[in-house]
Amino acid sequence: MVHALDEIRRVLVTDGILVDLRPVGNQWRVEVFCARETRQTGTLTDLPTGLEDDKAANHAMAEGERTGWFLREKEGLFPIYYIWDSASEMEEWIAAEWEGYVGLGEEVRRATRSAWALGDADSRVRVEVQVLITRWKKL
Amino acid sequence: MSFQKDPQQNETKHLHQLANFSDRRILEIGCGEGRLTWRYATKPAMTIAIDPDQDAVRVATIERPSDLEDRVHFSNAIAERLPFPKETFDIALLSWSF
Repeated sequence: MVHALDEIRRVLVTDGILVDLRPVGNQWRVEVFCARETRQTGTLTDLPTGLEDDKAANHAMAEGERTGWFLREKEGLFPIYYIWDSASEMEEWIAAEWEGYVGLGEEVRRATRSAWALGDADSRVRVEVQVLITRWKKL
Repeated sequence: MSFQKDPQQNETKHLHQLANFSDRRILEIGCGEGRLTWRYATKPAMTIAIDPDQDAVRVATIERPSDLEDRVHFSNAIAERLPFPKETFDIALLSWSF
């Protein structure tokens, strides 16, 4: 990753901008929601692969700052929602797309299925994913 | 299966708050099928979006709107070896790739 940063620096103009946009593991919230209410049913579990990726990315960016390649100008964390029509669709997605990164514990799975099954007809399921955005200036 | 990702477009809002893409030369790294590319691609003078996944690059190219053909280009490449001369871009965007 540090080598990639060096390459990015090479192709950027002086004072060029690097925007780093990525999800960060942070016990993402699982909710069942409808027009009338929102119920949190638990959080996803951060798994080793995801945590290691976060750590490696943070290390690479810190290294880029330490070596004087880039200056961190702005940073923020914001949520985005992944939304499914049912609890089982969410489970399928997590197993297929997020395997190794985040996990759905049995207690949360049961609570989400139950809340969705007993909820209003317009109930859906969502996960709030935390996204980190950072603006770096090439030095 | 009905699925939505970021229907409130928070990602787009924050991206445009952090960088001005108008008339700039953009390098997007990790573009995949172009999901994020289409959220800013009408503004830059030129966008080159790369991804190591050849199939994803193919999909992105097929889905590229005809009015962006001259300004948005997709390429199969990796960040560790960028096939561009030095100082080619004003903005580099790491798109969920680190």
